[in-house]
Amino acid sequence: MNDDELATIAKWVHDARKPLNRISMQAELVKMALNGEIPVEKATVALDKIIHSTKDCSHTLAQMMASLGANSAE
Amino acid sequence: MLTVLLVDDDPEFSEVACTIIEFLGHEVLTACNLAEAREWLTKETFDHVLLDFMLPDGSGAHLFDELNKLPKQPRITLITGHPSVKGIIKGLCGPNIDYLVKPIQREDIEAVLSGKKQPKSSQAPKIKKHFGHLIGESACMQELYKLIERVSRTSANVMLLGESGAGKEVVAAAIHAASQSTGAYIATNCGAFSKELIGSELFGHEKGAFTGAVGKKEGVFEQAEGGTLFLDEITEMPIDMQPNLLRVLENKVVIRVGGTKTIPVNCRVVSATNRKMEEIAESKVLREDIYFRLAVFPITIPPLRERREDIALLATHFIDEFNRDNQTQFKWEESQLDTLTAYDWPGNVRELRHFVHRAGIMSDPERSEIELPKTIESPFAKKQSTTPALAAGRTIEDVEKELIYATLEKVNGNKTLAAEMLGISTKTLYNRLHAYGDLSKDDA
Repeated sequence: MNDDELATIAKWVHDARKPLNRISMQAELVKMALNGEIPVEKATVALDKIIHSTKDCSHTLAQMMASLGANSAE
Repeated sequence: MLTVLLVDDDPEFSEVACTIIEFLGHEVLTACNLAEAREWLTKETFDHVLLDFMLPDGSGAHLFDELNKLPKQPRITLITGHPSVKGIIKGLCGPNIDYLVKPIQREDIEAVLSGKKQPKSSQAPKIKKHFGHLIGESACMQELYKLIERVSRTSANVMLLGESGAGKEVVAAAIHAASQSTGAYIATNCGAFSKELIGSELFGHEKGAFTGAVGKKEGVFEQAEGGTLFLDEITEMPIDMQPNLLRVLENKVVIRVGGTKTIPVNCRVVSATNRKMEEIAESKVLREDIYFRLAVFPITIPPLRERREDIALLATHFIDEFNRDNQTQFKWEESQLDTLTAYDWPGNVRELRHFVHRAGIMSDPERSEIELPKTIESPFAKKQSTTPALAAGRTIEDVEKELIYATLEKVNGNKTLAAEMLGISTKTLYNRLHAYGDLSKDDA
């Protein structure tokens, strides 16, 4: 793998980590709601955002695979 | 309270991080790029700056020089998605800088803001929680797990028998978890309500059913629909309320207090008592017909002294819990665990848990050694060795009363502390004192 390819993959990993970080933080909110530390309604919103972020992450990974596939075809 | 500046270009992350930081008791302001951060630094003084490494208008590292020139230098925590960045810039920055590697958890934020390192306990081998609740690998606990697994596949009502503090409520929650039912787990204490209120607690009430019933209320049977209802201290339920309970158990319908409509209910009832089976039969605290409805599957929870091999596991779990909550790094020494294992723990797991927490509070938070008191005192142990309390012919009630008063005397009348030492809830203690005529309604 050359430097360009490594840089491209690093960018994809960065983009995939962003929704993962959101998921981690939203999960903390759910824990807080379950512990009664914040209103329980916030847990519902947080769970919706977690679902959304998993889709974002999946989309990023699919794009990465498509891009890597295109590069190797070239 | 700290004033924190959070610099990150992801608004969703910033919003949640703000909720957590504010919950931790700090004030927080946000910036989504370097320009905004610079603007805040001219207007406000910050104790801590949480700084994303990659921002739209440059690297967070570009702010280091400016932060170092401020009259009051804040602590800096660099947020990075790349663990390697930590190594690269380590040499360039002073000791004033911490790092958070994404994905971030609440305890990471808590640790950097408190200035303490993360507890090492998270790296310790994980103690298995059976059914998500129960700790212990002893033979009698394995037997208990087998019983829980078997009964959880059915809808049978379970009666839990065991000494105070042995973990009856935890076992009830484990049964609920193992049964994978769709409804809720609802717990209530039958000894904590007066004769007038227990009907409303169990079966609910309609608006205007009695003075103070300003709205209608669902009882615990309705709340636990499709799930598990835990009735603690079932033998403390007033005897004249028991026929009403029997009717619900037999007909699977409730009628709210002041109502006429029958409401179908469907839940597993797990009841618990710290009285022995023979005592239940002899003292007539529970009607026979109710007993057979509730104790379709009786389970006796072993006292801690009969599963000594679990004491070290439990003590380790409790100190890990304390470390997590207090950002400390306490660790047991083998000799200390031997001391704990040798003790009888008359107040069972609850007493052990409180003892571990007390030891944690007494110890130096900057060190890992736990300061263990020279002796483990318990009002239970004291009473057990006192001859009059065990003289034949005395009633359980008399001994219990004497124990309650002796404990209250020891803690100078502090009821919360006395309840904790006795291994009962404060409500139960108040109820007992009320029954002895030693407490006015206002006190309760």
